[in-house]
Amino acid sequence: MISALVLQSGLLPEGLNVSFKLAPAIMVVAMLALFLGIGYAFRVADTEGMWVAGRSIGNVENGMAIGANWMSAASYLGMAALIALSGFYGLAFVVGWSTGYFILLIFLAAQMRRFGKYTAPDFVGDRFNSDMARAIAAVTTFLIGFVYAIGQARGMGLVGLYIFGDIGLPGLSGYQSMVVAMMAITVGYLTLSGMLGATKNMAVQYVILIVAFLAGLYAVGFTQGYSTVLPQIEYGQMIGQLSSEFSEPFVNESYYLWIATAFSLVVGTCGLPHVLVRFYTVENERTARWSTVWGLFFICLLYLSAPAFAAFGTDLYSENIGPVYGDPGMTSAAGDVIVVLATQLANFPQWFVGLVAAGGIAAAIATVAGLFIAGSSAISHDIYANIINEDASQRQQVLVGRLSIVALGVITTLAALDPAAPIAALVSYAFSLAGAVLFPMFFLGLWWENTNRQGALAGMTTGLVIWLIPMINEVLPTYIGNGEPYSATLAATVPAIGSALVAVPIVFAVTIGVSLVTDEPDMATKRLVRQCHSPEPMSRMQSAEEVAATDGGEPVSDD
Amino acid sequence: MVEKNTQDSPVETDGGALTQAAQSHRETNYLDREVNLLRPSTPFMREHLRVVWTGFVAWAIIVFGPVTLTYLAPGLMTTEMPVLGFPLHYFLVAIGAPSGALILSFWYARKRDALDRKYGIDHSVVETEDSETTVAADGGTSE
Repeated sequence: MISALVLQSGLLPEGLNVSFKLAPAIMVVAMLALFLGIGYAFRVADTEGMWVAGRSIGNVENGMAIGANWMSAASYLGMAALIALSGFYGLAFVVGWSTGYFILLIFLAAQMRRFGKYTAPDFVGDRFNSDMARAIAAVTTFLIGFVYAIGQARGMGLVGLYIFGDIGLPGLSGYQSMVVAMMAITVGYLTLSGMLGATKNMAVQYVILIVAFLAGLYAVGFTQGYSTVLPQIEYGQMIGQLSSEFSEPFVNESYYLWIATAFSLVVGTCGLPHVLVRFYTVENERTARWSTVWGLFFICLLYLSAPAFAAFGTDLYSENIGPVYGDPGMTSAAGDVIVVLATQLANFPQWFVGLVAAGGIAAAIATVAGLFIAGSSAISHDIYANIINEDASQRQQVLVGRLSIVALGVITTLAALDPAAPIAALVSYAFSLAGAVLFPMFFLGLWWENTNRQGALAGMTTGLVIWLIPMINEVLPTYIGNGEPYSATLAATVPAIGSALVAVPIVFAVTIGVSLVTDEPDMATKRLVRQCHSPEPMSRMQSAEEVAATDGGEPVSDD
Repeated sequence: MVEKNTQDSPVETDGGALTQAAQSHRETNYLDREVNLLRPSTPFMREHLRVVWTGFVAWAIIVFGPVTLTYLAPGLMTTEMPVLGFPLHYFLVAIGAPSGALILSFWYARKRDALDRKYGIDHSVVETEDSETTVAADGGTSE
């Protein structure tokens, strides 16, 4: 019954009425105009600017960009929903999505900056001297961007629908019209501005999203008598009053699934191409390190606040609408907009609810920007310029890049028109994929110089296969079967949401094993790895490859 | 934002009074030394990896410790904390882990800067040093 109602109102829960709202609409239009303006002001025409922002970005700015790039609709809207609906298990997402940055910092950030190319597949292709490996990495990057962005488009569509009502594009429902409109704007400014404009925008988007989120949290907490100055800590006292499902450990999901999820999200963080490319945009490796610290700080501001928002929302929901847990309980659609719902249930004026909603749009646009830049550079730079047309001019590359952003936008929009899986689930599959296929290549590639091409190819293939097993076992049946996994045992051991826990050790073992029984990589490759770790400073525009090939006096044959 | 000015001033201003560590840094050709996570081959790498592994162990305890303890001793871990009102496990996971990782990150970045100082590495004179060591930069054109 509930789900039927939800469908009728175009996915939005009853608590939020779908209609045109003037004040929030003006705010969102102004915000989008600002993004377009910044994109135009920092438009680019060369590949350096298009893919790595001219390597010009500083500490705090890159930190903000890391934060905005990272915090998507899944963080802004979905995080509180997960915590409210799945209780203690939801915290696995808070932990995985934040603490992974430390691993990124100590093992990968500075070394990646020293490597200094354009994209994540660049690293895989150049490090392992293999166009095959480059192609697998590029396809994985593209897949991740696509899967991940569907969720963002859904978030934008939901929030936009709330603010603008049904704009009624012919042949489409209200939600679908909004997805199309929002994606058109996002793609428009991205094709224009490339990475430089996107980075400048991300800093602005971070400010908007964090101000909106914290304003909502403080206002709800204060007016409802939940909290005063530090809601992030004060909600502890109300946990006792909420139902036990909110905090009791392992009632919803097992300990194993908790660990598997958190682990997958950590290694996924370290393997996501759109995260790694943020280190290519900074001036030097020291900036890469400190901007990671800043980035984590900015991320923590939201992630420490989300559980508090979830607690407030849960309490308001049970007071005003009905019990959150049990049957029927809170729907997942209501959960997905609980942050907005909470401000509405606390009886705030429309413009304020709109502000909180606008933050969600900013979050989604920033992440789509990062994903599309990474995805389109995989096509234009790694596949087109490196494999298909090696003599491509900068003009051609930028053109192919822009075209692929449009293509990504179109297929994402089409997939988001009828989203079959929940946002959080889609996003986690992308993390498992990045963790299983790309993370081991980055890690071993940088930290063990004897990792060779055969090892990398074997490892990546293994990772893909292990990732596919639960996708077929668990996810496929939701489309073509009765929704139940084919093998329950397999689903419990290798859960789709946390398959990297199983995959990563196996991929490491396969990569190391195959590397040991085949020839060591040549000296040029080893020197490349060594240059990534050398403490000797490098100039801004240099890549490790150039230094490794010219420095040291001995002749080195290089490709 | 930050305009990088290429100074022509020479790097050597300390009159040769180098520390032991800086001396060994000068004498090391990092391109000739193996990179191996488990067997560091240069003094710098050895010290750096000590910091990395210490941080990693602390991180693993902060991230997976509380939830594992909760699994092993649910009664103890779910007791309510005084004043804050959180059940202990909820606090350690929701607030302890993210803030712990943030503090560790700060600690690591500071440690690494200190290590750079100890070995006489300065990222602000990059352009100068670079022109000394690089024989033939190819003009920076991308392929």
